[in-house]
Amino acid sequence: MELIATLICGILAVGTAFLVIFSKNTVHSALWMTGNCLVLAVLFLLLNSQFIAILQIIVYAGAIMMFILYAIMMLNLRAGEIIDIKKQLFSKRFAILFLFFIGLLILGVGLSPMALKGDMAPGAMASFGEVNLIANYIFVQGLAPFELISVLLTSAVVGAVFLAKRN
Amino acid sequence: MSDYQSTYLTLSAILFAIGTLGVIIRKDAIVVFLSIEIMLGAVNLAFIAFSRANQSAEGIFMVMCVMAVAGAEAAIGLGIFVFLYRKTGTINIDKFNLLKW
Repeated sequence: MELIATLICGILAVGTAFLVIFSKNTVHSALWMTGNCLVLAVLFLLLNSQFIAILQIIVYAGAIMMFILYAIMMLNLRAGEIIDIKKQLFSKRFAILFLFFIGLLILGVGLSPMALKGDMAPGAMASFGEVNLIANYIFVQGLAPFELISVLLTSAVVGAVFLAKRN
Repeated sequence: MSDYQSTYLTLSAILFAIGTLGVIIRKDAIVVFLSIEIMLGAVNLAFIAFSRANQSAEGIFMVMCVMAVAGAEAAIGLGIFVFLYRKTGTINIDKFNLLKW
């Protein structure tokens, strides 16, 4: 049952990702990207991490995609460029990418038995991904990176305001 | 229960490759940006899969870091796109050869 749901979500994720790349209209690309984010959130739910799934919907599908659509509206793009898919796909770049993809695939599938050697207690599995465990990790062991992220976000906001104000 | 870890890793690899393909073949800066977001999502999926396999919160924390970096990247990147569009009237990445000699 879970495997079927995973496979359906995987096919949907790959399909929406292809539609993001091959849509002629930029707005359609952005909307398909929102769909891809939602499918990824479902995959996170299937992996028992509810908090990250909610965060994915709020941050990616909500904030970032709204931001990108707003930027597309500001840019007033009329028509996207015509992509010659066949010419692009059978070029040398595509061959390089294909080799890269095969390498990633072999690495990913080949290394996964090593990751599965840990103890898989059902009780621990149920509480994995709950907010109190994550918060405990963040505010005990990950405090310094957490504060660094806040510095990064502040500097990003200052930089965006600087870029907008310059002209 | 968890013997299809490799399903998630394969899916992550496929999504990352699709994102790379988009970065390579598209010329529209916004779509290149969206492809980068696809790649970040693929990496997040791999992090969560490994985090669950090892029963630790480190992967989840790393995913939150990636999300924060993606938000910062969206703010700065789209600001740069709007700035370039005001300067040159296009966001075709082949037109930006300022650093090319």
